[in-house]
Amino acid sequence: MSTEQKIREMQNKKRSLQQGGGVSRIEKQHKSGKLTARERIEKLVDPGSFAEVDSFVTHRCTEFGMEKENAPADGVIIGYATINNRPVYLYSQDFTVRGGSLGEMHAKKITKIMDMAMKMGCPILCINDSGGARIQEGIDSLSGYGEIFFRNTMASGVIPQISVILGPCAGGAVYSPALTDFIFMVDHISKMFITGPQVVQAATGEQVTEEDLGGAQTHNQVSGVAHFKYSTEEECFTGIRSLLSYLPQNNLEDTLIYNSNDDLNRLAPELNSIIPDNPNKSYDVKEVIRHIVDNGEFLEVQSLFAQNIVVGFARLNGRSIGLIANQPKVKAGALDIDASDKAARFIRFCNCFNVPIVTLTDVPAFLPGIDQEYNGIIRHGAKLLYAYSEATVPKVNVILRKAYGGAYIAMSSKHLGTDLVYAWPTAEIAVMGPEGAANIIFRKEIEKAEDPVAKRQEKIQEYRDRFTNPYAAAARGYIDDVIEPEATRPRLISALEMLQSKRETRPPKKHGNIPL
Amino acid sequence: MRRFMINVNGKSYEVEVEEILDGVSAAPAVPLAPVPAVVSQPVPQTAPSQQSAAPAAQPKPAEQPQAAAVSPVKAGSVQVKAPMPGTILDIRMQAGDSIKKGQVVLILEAMKMENEIMAPQDGIISSIQTSKGTSVNSGDLLFTINE
Repeated sequence: MSTEQKIREMQNKKRSLQQGGGVSRIEKQHKSGKLTARERIEKLVDPGSFAEVDSFVTHRCTEFGMEKENAPADGVIIGYATINNRPVYLYSQDFTVRGGSLGEMHAKKITKIMDMAMKMGCPILCINDSGGARIQEGIDSLSGYGEIFFRNTMASGVIPQISVILGPCAGGAVYSPALTDFIFMVDHISKMFITGPQVVQAATGEQVTEEDLGGAQTHNQVSGVAHFKYSTEEECFTGIRSLLSYLPQNNLEDTLIYNSNDDLNRLAPELNSIIPDNPNKSYDVKEVIRHIVDNGEFLEVQSLFAQNIVVGFARLNGRSIGLIANQPKVKAGALDIDASDKAARFIRFCNCFNVPIVTLTDVPAFLPGIDQEYNGIIRHGAKLLYAYSEATVPKVNVILRKAYGGAYIAMSSKHLGTDLVYAWPTAEIAVMGPEGAANIIFRKEIEKAEDPVAKRQEKIQEYRDRFTNPYAAAARGYIDDVIEPEATRPRLISALEMLQSKRETRPPKKHGNIPL
Repeated sequence: MRRFMINVNGKSYEVEVEEILDGVSAAPAVPLAPVPAVVSQPVPQTAPSQQSAAPAAQPKPAEQPQAAAVSPVKAGSVQVKAPMPGTILDIRMQAGDSIKKGQVVLILEAMKMENEIMAPQDGIISSIQTSKGTSVNSGDLLFTINE
């Protein structure tokens, strides 16, 4: 064979690999509203930047007639590319090849690209579209999953790991996404569950559709498994690119600094009137966020889950920040189990990847109730305290209004090591609300009074005047300054600038024991 | 048909319960739906009218499916439940009103906050299952919407 023929042979081989499972299966994939594994990569990364690795790998199974079966690229495409001109590693499961099923070599390819991402310190993107384990390959498939889970754990906190569910992801396979930092899902395309509807029905008699059991809506709103939901694959890819722009490449790097065309000294007069005069009225904390951050741009994480707390990424003077804010509009902004879990995990992500944490506090309490207690609000709430205390990135808190009792401590208080705590003049920082406190402290006086109702009102007012303001806390230095609401943006930017050089060490240990 | 003895405020009621299968459209438990209760002891005013003297009169079997079949007509397909325990401060809409997603239906005062309970989607309010001044627990049905 001449050199020219050899080159042509290679080109032919590659061309046929590009076809994946063949034209008819690609058509089927398109008919079900899905892009193919390669189309997904093309749309996700910078044009022309993808370099494939291991395209010639195929399975070596000889059981159940598999020796005669062809599996181009063994059902998964791996390689590296750039997104916003920064390198990323990725794999994309090919449903047109044996249903994207995971066998020995399929898993080896995935672990290979994960190892590369780790070694080079770059984010890894995992596009899942797989029927599950390749049963013919038996225990080798299980071994493959285990090897992936192990690497997910090793990479956790070292490189950002992003899972994109664009097809089925069932059984053991769900635990790789679950171990990663963020899960993206698309309506009517993504399905994630431990067992599908048939098994659920056989086991418990419950009837449920795939979409209701493990669709994008379910996992974004009900279970809190997923973080982002989109209606099309294209929008989903835009979302991933946007998320990556807020993140560093790895745990040793800082986030990128963008040129901000939003004035760092910009005042937001709207904030002076955003808190209603009646403390029982609510407002939308996302509006507060939009007035503070660069160009009002806020990438909310888990926007549908535990909406009583808002978390997400934004920029201040071009630098990424992670925002955590109580949402008075939902459940009065009280902290419950889901809100604690959601915020704690987000805080830990920010701390892993050097993203400063800004908290906006307006919290009445931890949510009371039998069902909260029975389900362990104590151990879930503890995660929030743990996460804030553990974080060594710059931490700044602005108390907008209520900060009561244990929830005050939990929400990035000075006592948990927050570097700077500011309060708006509307802040109410106290052990408990005036009504409850007056009943306890002045009980005897109220009982003895000729007009107990009037006396009670008088005492409530007395307590309110003395304690439900920021000045009692500021007098102790628990609040560093009371600021004009409209000046929140410049004050935060100045604080974060000052905290750039923050260095805080922790006692050496393997790892702490967060109450899970 | 299974029989239960229920104690309410110290008075016992004998109740017969029948499971509704596929034949009848799924009937979500509607708190205000009339419960055909057979009373074995003096009846309070609010109980369904039965002669208090009649000791545990067996209801005609036909009575029960009928009562159950009536209730789903009242309830809409989308149920909105109380997110936390509190008191209904105000109801701004009534059954039959058409409503847009995000529109406030009622105010639930809880955690010293007037929480706006909004419609999760567009539709028509088919029933309001609570009233002003009522204390509700988390998970209690507040209103239903028909798409």
